Amino acid sequence: MKFLIPILALALLAPALSAKEELVTLPERDSVQLTIYNSEDLTLVRERRTLTFKDGENRIQFSWANTLIDPTSVEFQPVGKDAQAALEILDTSYPAESNQMLIWTVSCNKAAGYEVEISYFTSGISWQAEYTGVVSAKDDAVDFTAYVTVSNHSGEDYENAQVRLVVGVIHLVERIVDLAQPGQGGGRGMPQDRWRGLEEEAAKGEAQSNGMARPKEIQKAGLSEYYIYTVGGTETIPNSWSKRLRSLEVKGIPLKTVYRLQPDKFGPYFTKVLEFKNDEEHKLGKEPLPDGVIRLYKDAGEGRLSWLGILASKYIPKGDEVKINIGPDAECTLKTKRTGLTKKDLAFRLNRIVGWTTVQEFELVVTNFREIEVEVEIHQSFQGDFDFESEDGFEKHDADTRKIVFTLKPGEKRTITYTVTTRSGTNVK
Amino acid sequence: MNKRLIFTLAGAALVASAIGIAQPEPAQARIKLATLPDKEAVVVRFDHASQVLVEEERTISLQKGVNTVDFSWAGTNIDKGSIVFRPVDGASKVEILSTSYPPGEAALTWAISSPDARSEKFRLSYLMANIQRETDYRAIVSNDESTLTFKHYFKIRNWSGGHFDSADFITRDGKTFEKALDQGEAKRVLVNKWDKVKLTKEYTYDLTRQYEGKVMTDYVLKNTKEMGLGGIPLEYGKVRIYQDDGKGTTAFTGEDWGQFTPIGDDMRLNIGIAQDIKVEYKKMTNDIENRRGNVYDTNEVDEYEIKNFKDSEATLTLVLRVQGEWEMQKDSSGYESFERIDNETIKFKVKCPAKGTPVKLKFHYKRLNNW
Repeated sequence: MKFLIPILALALLAPALSAKEELVTLPERDSVQLTIYNSEDLTLVRERRTLTFKDGENRIQFSWANTLIDPTSVEFQPVGKDAQAALEILDTSYPAESNQMLIWTVSCNKAAGYEVEISYFTSGISWQAEYTGVVSAKDDAVDFTAYVTVSNHSGEDYENAQVRLVVGVIHLVERIVDLAQPGQGGGRGMPQDRWRGLEEEAAKGEAQSNGMARPKEIQKAGLSEYYIYTVGGTETIPNSWSKRLRSLEVKGIPLKTVYRLQPDKFGPYFTKVLEFKNDEEHKLGKEPLPDGVIRLYKDAGEGRLSWLGILASKYIPKGDEVKINIGPDAECTLKTKRTGLTKKDLAFRLNRIVGWTTVQEFELVVTNFREIEVEVEIHQSFQGDFDFESEDGFEKHDADTRKIVFTLKPGEKRTITYTVTTRSGTNVK
Repeated sequence: MNKRLIFTLAGAALVASAIGIAQPEPAQARIKLATLPDKEAVVVRFDHASQVLVEEERTISLQKGVNTVDFSWAGTNIDKGSIVFRPVDGASKVEILSTSYPPGEAALTWAISSPDARSEKFRLSYLMANIQRETDYRAIVSNDESTLTFKHYFKIRNWSGGHFDSADFITRDGKTFEKALDQGEAKRVLVNKWDKVKLTKEYTYDLTRQYEGKVMTDYVLKNTKEMGLGGIPLEYGKVRIYQDDGKGTTAFTGEDWGQFTPIGDDMRLNIGIAQDIKVEYKKMTNDIENRRGNVYDTNEVDEYEIKNFKDSEATLTLVLRVQGEWEMQKDSSGYESFERIDNETIKFKVKCPAKGTPVKLKFHYKRLNNW
């Protein structure tokens, strides 16, 4: 914590409330915990320090120049029963001469050293989820790895911090970065050699404990509408650095391949969608999958990969479906033909046409050129007052859309026919 | 016999400039008592919603006859018209004859008549501008979300140009604390703390509050004695909410503006999105009916498929709106109860089973076009 900017100065309260603070002690942080949110630029920092208090009123100064700390969030709390019984916070003063400093007046009824917790919000530290999927050659399974990446641009180095990540969308009424009075200078980088030194030190510690360094375990627990991921041990995240940790790794999740035609959304061709569920059947289901980026590769054989694509994933609750749309795929083809057009029930008023009914017949030929069985889902939408008829089995998706679902074996071709009758003008029911 | 007393509330900068001292940088204005008598008791009252009333007491030695007392307040933000000056003893024989206002000065002069030579205690009241106040709250919710500890903080920032060596600050709900407050300084004090306040948690789907159709999580506090509050109306202020994580510490779970809440009313606080409850809306029917010339009615069915992926059952409130003249149809289904809040708004409560089992709310209505 040599680069730490927030300092604590314990000073005796002069009877005349003199503005001069006498610095009595500058204690080290005993521990620090970061709770980082991914929905907002917000991190809750809790640090514990042992301070020596005198009987009567004690003044404790806390300042945070050149950081992105929200001054309205800074809190002071005694830790433990003894400290809580002995200490009482009388007020928090924000002196006129500095907007990056505050002074707590704490009364103490039993002079001693007590552990206190100081907590505050800072902006500039963020985390995000990232996923890597390696799809098997036959598209029937995926090896799935989830990562969390923590980035620190807060202007503050956090060494040996316990890191907690919050999955969820919290409500904030003001942005922390606005409350933190930006423009006070950004962060200071840590020299490269110093960072390496820390890394080596950390690696040494792990190697000694079990002979071989293992990835850290990330524990997950629900809290209200959120999930908290707690990274095992402590982490050092210097200012301006990012760190990626593995949060989940599952091999061989069974996949379903669906070719979906949704002209309104994706145009007049099939898009290939890989589907699985975040449940036990799919070797998952213990936790939600936070929103993040998915990078997809395909197993190209001999341990090599080929690139499939990158896409953004929304939050997937436990038990919900994961649908990975990997774009158009020409291995399942669609040919659409209008095979008939008839107009009937014409109505006239004053020799002008005012009502008519159009009957259109369509034929869709779907061919699966792949060597695996696939599911096909066709959405067809229509405007106005219409009737849809087909002998190929369909369901009403919504007022304007009909959906036809079937499976195709490798190499199979299937022809779908349907008739749409649309009433216009005065023929509308 | 005419005695002249001067009280001054002068800005330090003005004093400095008057006596010709060069100022390296602009000094802050400061209430300074240049002459006797001293302020004896100062009370700063925040009981009005926007104005701050300062009351101070001073003992003045009066001669028999008419005395003249000057009061000036250069550099501070006192509302001249608001100044009230009277003896503390209501039965005092001392009488204030007149108040004179010199031109172009932040000052006035009282003519005080006294029946004899005596020391009389006076109370001076005035409105002072630029003393800002702010209320904020910290809520620490229990791990099971059934109760919370609610802490009420009061913060004052003094931009008035004056400073208070020691004053009693009185909040709107009558709490008093004695503090010193410098010009430019702010102080934040815990004024109330309520433990074991009962709370209810509600899930709401309301497109006017969350246009993307996500489900919001609200905590609702009833400001009543039975629920653990109810002693005072709750001021408007930011509520920051933390929850006991069951591991000896807390996590921040959201914040909201708490609206002014009279005793007996509810304070509703949105903490965030309930991502594990999903609502999918589809319009299943939208037919024209009862065509008469160029007007017609519509027959509409809106379907809301709700999946609650949580491990326990939840009740979701859906606040839906239909414009114009409309009637709900009897075959609407899937809800536990409904309430038509106003002509445009209807509120359904839907029980959502756990672990993603879908439940469908069918809202069937006819929009009428009557002329």
